[in-house]
Amino acid sequence: MRQEQQNGRKLKFHILRFNPQIEGDKPKMVTYELTEALGMTVFIALNQIREQHDPSLQFDFVCRAGICGSCAMVINGKPDLACRTLTSKFPKGEITLLPLPAFELIGDLSVNTGKVMRAVSERIEGWIHDKNMGEIDLTKMEVTMDPDLADNIYELERCVECGCCLAACGTKRMRDDFLGAVGFMKVARFLMDTRDKRTEEDMYEIIGDDDGIFGCMSLMGCEDFCPKDLPHQHQIAYLRRKMVTVK
Amino acid sequence: MEQLLSEQVKKSRTPARLDFYQSATGLILGLFMWAHMLLVSSILLGNESMYWVAKSLEASFLSKDPTHGYPILVTFAVLGVFFLFIVHAGLAVRKFPSSWKQHRVFRSHMKMMKHKDTNIWYTQVVTGFIMFFFGSVHLYIMMTHPDKIGPYASSDRFVSDWMWPLYLILLLAVEAHGTIGLYRLAVKWGWFDGKNPVSNRKKLKFLKNLLAIFFIVLGLFTFAAYVKIGIEHRDKQGERYIPSSLTSQAKPEALINYQS
Amino acid sequence: MNVIYTDSLIIGGGLAGLRIAIASKQRGLDTIIVSLIPAKRSHSAAAQGGMQASLGASVKGEGDDEDVHFADTVKGSDWGCDQKVARMFVNTAPKAIRELSTWGVPWSRVKKGDRYVVVNAKRVKLTEKDEAHGLITARDFGGTKKWRTCFTADGTGHTMLYAMDNKAIELGIPVHERKEAIALIHNGENCHGAIVRDLITGDLTAYIAKATTIATGGYGRLYSVSTNAVICEGIGAAIALETGVAALGNMEAVQFHPTAIVPVGILTTEGCRGDGGLLRDVDGYRFMPDYEPEKKELASRDVVSRRMTEHIRKGKGVPSPYGDHLWLDITLLGKEHIDKNLREVKEICEYFLGIDPVKQYIPVRPTQHYSMGGVKTNPTGQSPYLKGLFSAGESACWDMHGFNRLGGNSVAETVVAGMIVGEYVADYCEQNQLEIKTSLIEQFYNRENQKIDQLIESSSNENVFQIKSEMQEIMMQNVGIFRNQKDLELAVSSLKSLLKRSRKIGLKNKTRSSNPELVEAIRVPKMIKLALTVAYGALQRTESRGAHSREDFPERNDRDWLKRTLAFWRNEEDEMPELQYEDLDILSMELAPASRGYGNATIIDNQDTEKRIKQIEEITKANPNADRFEIQELLNPIELPKKLQGKNERVGRGFK
Ligand SMILES: Cc1cc2nc3c(=O)[nH]c(=O)nc-3n(C[C@H](O)[C@H](O)[C@H](O)COP(=O)(O)OP(=O)(O)OC[C@H]3O[C@@H](n4cnc5c(N)ncnc54)[C@H](O)[C@@H]3O)c2cc1C
Ligand code: HEM
Ligand code: HEM
Ligand code: SF4
Ligand code: F3S
Ligand code: FES
Repeated sequence: MRQEQQNGRKLKFHILRFNPQIEGDKPKMVTYELTEALGMTVFIALNQIREQHDPSLQFDFVCRAGICGSCAMVINGKPDLACRTLTSKFPKGEITLLPLPAFELIGDLSVNTGKVMRAVSERIEGWIHDKNMGEIDLTKMEVTMDPDLADNIYELERCVECGCCLAACGTKRMRDDFLGAVGFMKVARFLMDTRDKRTEEDMYEIIGDDDGIFGCMSLMGCEDFCPKDLPHQHQIAYLRRKMVTVK
Repeated sequence: MEQLLSEQVKKSRTPARLDFYQSATGLILGLFMWAHMLLVSSILLGNESMYWVAKSLEASFLSKDPTHGYPILVTFAVLGVFFLFIVHAGLAVRKFPSSWKQHRVFRSHMKMMKHKDTNIWYTQVVTGFIMFFFGSVHLYIMMTHPDKIGPYASSDRFVSDWMWPLYLILLLAVEAHGTIGLYRLAVKWGWFDGKNPVSNRKKLKFLKNLLAIFFIVLGLFTFAAYVKIGIEHRDKQGERYIPSSLTSQAKPEALINYQS
Repeated sequence: MNVIYTDSLIIGGGLAGLRIAIASKQRGLDTIIVSLIPAKRSHSAAAQGGMQASLGASVKGEGDDEDVHFADTVKGSDWGCDQKVARMFVNTAPKAIRELSTWGVPWSRVKKGDRYVVVNAKRVKLTEKDEAHGLITARDFGGTKKWRTCFTADGTGHTMLYAMDNKAIELGIPVHERKEAIALIHNGENCHGAIVRDLITGDLTAYIAKATTIATGGYGRLYSVSTNAVICEGIGAAIALETGVAALGNMEAVQFHPTAIVPVGILTTEGCRGDGGLLRDVDGYRFMPDYEPEKKELASRDVVSRRMTEHIRKGKGVPSPYGDHLWLDITLLGKEHIDKNLREVKEICEYFLGIDPVKQYIPVRPTQHYSMGGVKTNPTGQSPYLKGLFSAGESACWDMHGFNRLGGNSVAETVVAGMIVGEYVADYCEQNQLEIKTSLIEQFYNRENQKIDQLIESSSNENVFQIKSEMQEIMMQNVGIFRNQKDLELAVSSLKSLLKRSRKIGLKNKTRSSNPELVEAIRVPKMIKLALTVAYGALQRTESRGAHSREDFPERNDRDWLKRTLAFWRNEEDEMPELQYEDLDILSMELAPASRGYGNATIIDNQDTEKRIKQIEEITKANPNADRFEIQELLNPIELPKKLQGKNERVGRGFK
């Protein structure tokens, strides 16, 4: 167990409350007080607030283990996964929670990331393109793949579509049509995959404009706030180099 | 026919080129500014050095008369830089917030996130904006008065021509903008990613800060030197510097020629 | 009234649901998925460890094939599974994994040459064959004879789910997100679709379909501490139960995973032990070899969980503010291995415990993990009681897991069942017409609408959060790893009174649109019904089999209990489920009941067992030239959709 946790401390949660479903509702900050428990996360705290203070409080948790990407929100100014944020991280005991910007607000801390992510996948056609796929005989041995390549693809596929990289990106905030880092990461992932027969030219068709890779201003919010530590900086630079040299 | 069609649907390569040119012009300007700063700061080594630098850049070594250069060369150089400057600005302006709303969103984003790399981009926008005006003035003067560069002439411009406030602002702007820009270039194109891009970016950022401090400090000393000379020389505004090698050897015709 | 018509309606966007949707769509059917959450957030993503399929490419998998996988699965189930289904499953699993490979899963691959692994706390050198280089590799998992669990580092479920959802997006399958199925529409014989509530607007929609598939995952959240996602509340199974017609199977079969972290119950994968991690007690002593000399930490999950509980009861647990726990030690695997293959585990330790597993032991305890029970189906995935209702994945009792499922067999089931059942769903859609009276739709639509009205208007004052947490506590305390009559009786009676209270829920927040309290109020009574099927089923089953372990009946009783529990909820007003039992036919088993080889429980034999052993011997003797496929055909003939037939090729072995 963590030693430095302050057991029994008073915590103050300042939470943005707004339900666009209710006509005339206005955004406001509401403060809730809680007693901190050992190992308390923002997930545990929010559930307590819902159960004990206000049953209408909206938020999204699914796995509560930092794997599904549902619970991203802005915690004291930083986009992060709420379920794996320990309250003990905040020595002052003041925690401000805002819904993730750059997404449609469902209510309070809940935003519609799913819709955006599906659109990203559709936009970059995030699946393996191989004309001959239909003819593959499943009784036969699989096509071999270099073990290191497989590992490298996995590195890029660890994205959980939480949306932190979009919320942390000033470009995305200003320009809604900007694809954003999560999309670049997917493009890089499929470009790397030898099973996907798309070429660099094909990828240029998808990201070769100012809504794509050339719109990125290297603000690095994606790199610094991705909870899965995906290598955005490196991959975006890689894509940019590739795309600039496409004939 | 088929080929024609596929040519037609092919996405334009222009965005790629523009991005490339933005970076290329930025890179050249950034490196130029380092050189520029080192040259201008030659005043710190004494009027002689500055004089020598100015004359060398006018290619005075090609002329028989060492006090005579070809200032037109400077005009051409400035013209070249001016061109890059405008092209770069033109390309970069595309990235500016295009409406007040976008600007507001970006400001609130900065306020919320307190994220270094995001903030320094905004610094670039602001400094770029400033330079667009002040840099143009400076360049225009340099272009039109290429012959008036030298320890006294330049100092007079600082003080007697009231250029010093502009230079002070321009100095801070250009050094901030330039070093951030070069850092951004390295990150943007992944030049120094190496095996560990995360720690290498940290190092780059450190280097960026170091360079910015170095050039600003150097610039301020330089600034102080010109101002000092300018104040001392206020009464003799318009008088041109004569290098000691010439005064001691006393070549009267040359001097007369020069002063006339 | 909002109505949407489609051919194939799939409730649930996890691995199972997506795969069925893909099968439907590929057959040209109009297909819709409804899901509580975006498909990629489904709990399938949480599977870290891997997927079993007998590819046998790695040296430690050499000699593996469908037969070995089959035997492991049946033993794992403690002979409680349907051996036909287990056969269908093991024969299809290699195809499933290979298909996923073409769809983009970056399976970890065999690297030729030497590598070092930790086996039984010792560093061992393995030399991978040249010809296997680049094929899909496998790791060790509990209860398996060979290394058979294919994986992508420790993000197996994640990469599988992403590849699957990407495929679904490619095919343009719509996923209606943030929608909850709250009732099935049926006429007592045929299922016609579902009433679905939009979790944002609160609106109801009737989805009318030829075939309706429930693929809603498990019911782990009946327990207060579970490795499952918070949405794994079993609502899919509950709405099937609430039809009064469809049955749930083996609901008392609930698996506890040995190594979830304390206190939050987040799982550390079985891969930790598979890769060589050890269990230690308060003295740092490795105790498992004392209990299970052969398989040690890698006996099946039910066994390891019980042994750990036993050991804690002996006073060897590590005390903590949250009760006693034991240690999982993966320090011996080394930093490099942990950073690469167990990174999610490392992240979990860092974020939730603040420890570094490279240097420190991880506090673990057995925790609710998997629901073997679910909507009872035929081998085709269809409910035997309600036509047009299908189910697959963890929500189903297709019954390949019996009373304990092996690690890695579950994500494998979702995909394999998805492939197999998917074809049968498509067949059904092609062979049947949509015939439904609007009055029937209206009846269900209005009924659900009224229920919600009542909830909102109710002036009762039972607090739904309170009731839910009481239910979870009851299940945790009394229907856990070790069970006995007294506790189970208590559980049943307390749940009964909770069910009554749940009919008097009063809401503080009366909003009809997105309202988390209302969502709970709709779910909790359904969950209590499920809890009752679990507790009551456990009370009735007076034997110990697989994960169901009765202290008062410690033996496996094949004589009286080689049967499947079926639970029905006949009327909405009922307070108890109706239980029925269905015999498992020993005389058609490919593998006659025997000891599992670990967990050393005593067995009360069934008279048919002896008979079947003889039969099997005779059949084998009478066909001396038959190969393994022909023998299987004789002992356990199965049917598979045409697409999925055919022997599987293996490296160095061909199609043999
Ligand atoms: C922590 C953890 C680790 C695991 N590791 C492994 C492993 O290594 N290997 C292995 O084989 N197995 C593992 N399992 C088990 C395996 O992950 C699951 O059994 C399997 O993924 C279940 O898949 P599914 O498609 O049936 O359901 P899920 O993936 O749970 O999907 C359920 C879907 O149904 C939807 N849904 C639910 N209710 C409703 C409703 N009422 N209306 C509409 N939609 C609804 C949800 O939105 C979701 O999309 C693990 C399980 C856990 C909890
Ligand atoms: C008219 C004046 C200028 C304006 C308006 C301007 C504006 C900008 C802006 C907005 C950017 C960021 C572009 C992006 O994020 O994509 C930028 C980048 C840059 N600027 Fe300038 N700038 C000006 C002059 C200069 C000068 C004088 C220098 C030399 C020191 C310079 C060097 C750079 C560099 C190196 C970059 C990085 C290039 C890149 O990101 O591609 N700029 N400029
Ligand atoms: C070829 C083009 C250029 C020439 C020839 C040139 C020349 C000079 C000279 C001679 C000086 C000394 C002061 C003076 O004589 O007035 C000077 C100072 C300065 N120049 Fe330039 N310059 C050029 C381009 C630029 C550009 C593009 C910028 C930035 C936008 C810039 C910014 C400055 C600043 C800030 C100073 C003051 C330095 C200090 O105070 O330390 N110059 N330049
Ligand atoms: S790239 Fe990182 S921040 Fe962006 S969605 Fe994926 S996991 Fe989240
Ligand atoms: S934050 Fe945005 S601007 Fe580029 S580097 Fe990341 S996408
Ligand atoms: S709830 Fe899944 S990542 Fe937080």
